[in-house]
Amino acid sequence: MAIQSIERELYIEASPDVVFEVVSDPEHVRHWWPDEARYKVIPGTPGEIVFGDPEAGGKVVALTVVEARPPESFSFRWTQPGGEPATPGNSLLVTFDLVPSGEGTLLKFSETGFREEEVRADHVNGWDYFLPRLAPYIATVGVRP
Amino acid sequence: MTTAVDDDLWSAIGDPTRRRMLDLLLTEGAGTATTLSRQLPVTRQAVAKHLGVLDRAGLVRATPAGREKRYQVDDAELERAAAQLAAVGAEWDARLNRIKRIAEAIQTKRSDNG
Repeated sequence: MAIQSIERELYIEASPDVVFEVVSDPEHVRHWWPDEARYKVIPGTPGEIVFGDPEAGGKVVALTVVEARPPESFSFRWTQPGGEPATPGNSLLVTFDLVPSGEGTLLKFSETGFREEEVRADHVNGWDYFLPRLAPYIATVGVRP
Repeated sequence: MTTAVDDDLWSAIGDPTRRRMLDLLLTEGAGTATTLSRQLPVTRQAVAKHLGVLDRAGLVRATPAGREKRYQVDDAELERAAAQLAAVGAEWDARLNRIKRIAEAIQTKRSDNG
């Protein structure tokens, strides 16, 4: 059962090589996400990302690179319990696929998580399906006396 | 940072059949396992089980209706669920926009130097 599935597409005016560096290199990653990123861009090597000051309420989160195929694809798993290997049952999988497009790159992003072994054949995207239905409904709830 | 999303909530709405059931309950205001199973390609027993999951996640409320239970969507919980879902998506949107800005700045710099 999918517990989470987010998909996005974004056009970037930069070559796939540049975009690959930005999404994968820990030096770049800490500029767009955590405060600190400590991992090697080598599949299977355990690493971590740090939010805030761990001594003062911050958080250390495990991150393991799953695949690095420059300049086409980069993926990692995160949120697995510290010290445990990342598996489909204990972590979220983030994938960046980079497709050359004109002078730039089409970035295809997804984050998925599974809490049960069974992966459904029908990948109904929870976001596309659920949110458009909720928005009009919530609007009506908001104006109810 | 990361938004925490309740496991129960994700599990409850992660299933396509349960999402369709929520849809039907929203459209029709209320329903029982029997009325819902007439509109879904699953048995009444399966629907009853799904309703139990939605009930435990707090997304629906049950009232007795004869030998069955009548279910309604819980407005407040549904709003909370939507807010959590939207927050996780919004966080990734912000990160992806930062990726775009950084990559484009690097590209511009390299083109200028080349």
